[in-house]
Amino acid sequence: MPILECRELSKRFGSVQALDEVSLTLEAGRVVGLLGPNGSGKTTLLKLANGLLTPTDGEILIEGLAPGKETHSVVSYLPDRPYLAEWMKVRQLLDLFEDFYDDFDRNKATEMLLRLSIDEEMRIKEMSKGTREKAQLILVMSRKAKLYLLDEPIGGVDPATRDYILETIIRNYNPEAAVVISTHLIADVEQVLDDVIFINQGKIMLQSSVDAIREEHGMSVDQYFREVFRC
Amino acid sequence: MLGKLIKHEFRATARIMLPISGAVLALSLLANLSIRGLTGSMSEIPVLRIFFLFIEFAFGAAIVAAGVMAIVIMVSRFYRNLLKDEGYLMFTLPVSVHELIWAKLIVSLVWFLVTSLLIFLVCCATALNISGTSLAVVIGEMPSWAELRDALKEIGVYDKLVGLTLKMVLLVLLSILAVCLHFYASMSLGHMFSKNKILLSIVFFVLISFAFNMMKMSIGIAGFDALNGTHPMNDSEVMTQFMSRALWVGIGTQAVQAAVLYFATVLSLKRGLNLE
Amino acid sequence: MDWNFRGDLPIYSQLVEQIRLAIISGVFPPGQRLASVRDMAAEAGVNPNTMQRALQDLEREGMVCSQRTTGRFVTEDPNIIEQAKKQYAEEQIRAFLETMRKLGYPREAILTLLKEEEKENADT
Repeated sequence: MPILECRELSKRFGSVQALDEVSLTLEAGRVVGLLGPNGSGKTTLLKLANGLLTPTDGEILIEGLAPGKETHSVVSYLPDRPYLAEWMKVRQLLDLFEDFYDDFDRNKATEMLLRLSIDEEMRIKEMSKGTREKAQLILVMSRKAKLYLLDEPIGGVDPATRDYILETIIRNYNPEAAVVISTHLIADVEQVLDDVIFINQGKIMLQSSVDAIREEHGMSVDQYFREVFRC
Repeated sequence: MLGKLIKHEFRATARIMLPISGAVLALSLLANLSIRGLTGSMSEIPVLRIFFLFIEFAFGAAIVAAGVMAIVIMVSRFYRNLLKDEGYLMFTLPVSVHELIWAKLIVSLVWFLVTSLLIFLVCCATALNISGTSLAVVIGEMPSWAELRDALKEIGVYDKLVGLTLKMVLLVLLSILAVCLHFYASMSLGHMFSKNKILLSIVFFVLISFAFNMMKMSIGIAGFDALNGTHPMNDSEVMTQFMSRALWVGIGTQAVQAAVLYFATVLSLKRGLNLE
Repeated sequence: MDWNFRGDLPIYSQLVEQIRLAIISGVFPPGQRLASVRDMAAEAGVNPNTMQRALQDLEREGMVCSQRTTGRFVTEDPNIIEQAKKQYAEEQIRAFLETMRKLGYPREAILTLLKEEEKENADT
């Protein structure tokens, strides 16, 4: 059974068609890049997978189930916004994740925090932006989920942090899970991906693998993307 | 899961409510000492008198603040935790929307009751202090439970009293829930839209107030019509029956209001959630 | 190990080349145990599936062998390594000669240049 499946999924906001009859399947063990310009529908798709939005038409299924309480326990989501309460300490966040998620590996999280010298007694509001993003990523990646949805995980961080984030994603690889990385920074992320999905104005333009694109077109996905989306 | 949410909710709200309660207690202590000071020999010194009066004022302000904060916390907690960025965390937890709402309702209810109880006790203590008596004396002069029971039995109200008290308690609890849900529903409905969310929340708040006030007024008018011809004031039997019926009507309307607003909240959060 | 990837070739084939080079130049000596797929992928900054595919290709070539429980090892067979070394050297020479041809250097000139270069290296 595919981990994620969209069947003619559509979402409209008033007069704006954010997603237009999107159909795709995602199998376990794949790291997929959801690539498209800003406003192409990437975030909308991820929110639909989480149940933060409801479809206008069509379906979205996580391991065959519609998004809800059960799917939340197998989906680990990293939004592209600061979503942790400012007043909370890291230790309290670890408590929270451990409480609500059976698949949360506290030891793993603690180890990663230690390696990055993030003190568990620090409050979120005391952290710099980069540290906050690292903390959020650590919490998300310390879960042994079936589907990881990472919305712009490397946007707005320095190169060293970016490398750390990508390395964490690689080391965390689980052949029984699927990872979706939504980004517009393709060059940085390309090597980590198995497959890519090009999305524009709510429609899927292409679904292929990184190596296939390179073989067929003799250029990197980043360059090919620029060609396809040339203004 | 609900238990965990409630635990987390208490942890988040206690940060503010406990210090405020502590401040109320501390100020009540100071205020009561100041009263002694104002009535005793120390009142001769003008500086001290001003100081004591200031404490009294602060004490009064703290009580008002505690009551107000209970409401403010209830509203802002819902807003910040569910309708702003934290919603990204809350709505992706493995919990249902029902559990999220109930956790907040239960915790708000507890804080309202605790704050009310605290204010009541603190005012009683102050009243005792002012009147110059002590608690022991007051308890000593109070009728014993047996005496009270016999007296009430004589009027013929005792049996009904238990029922009436329970109904009043139920009415109070439902009213608190209804007030909370009034705010929750207004905010949830207002936030279904992409623009002017706060303005629309206020609009919904007013509309809901209006609608339910109309409802209650019509019920009240109908109730008065039904009363026509009876003289409840003269007959304790009819009186208790009237009060019992009135309470049931109150409980009914609050329950209906709470239920309607609950489902409005659930539906707007489930279908119309639009975090950004 | 310095990993360097070009954008216009598939990553897995670049991985095969670079690991092969590391083996024949002794960076990964014969019999050396290789790190896990995940560790190697993390080091190289690539997808683990891609690394796995590359290592499987190298296994098929015989450059690398895997023992199910203990992991992957560089081959200890000197013939395979010699063969690969020779092939790589030939490719380099072919490429070099092609470049020289484009520059317009005839055979004798190339040999003279090589001898001069050798003398300079010997002196320093």
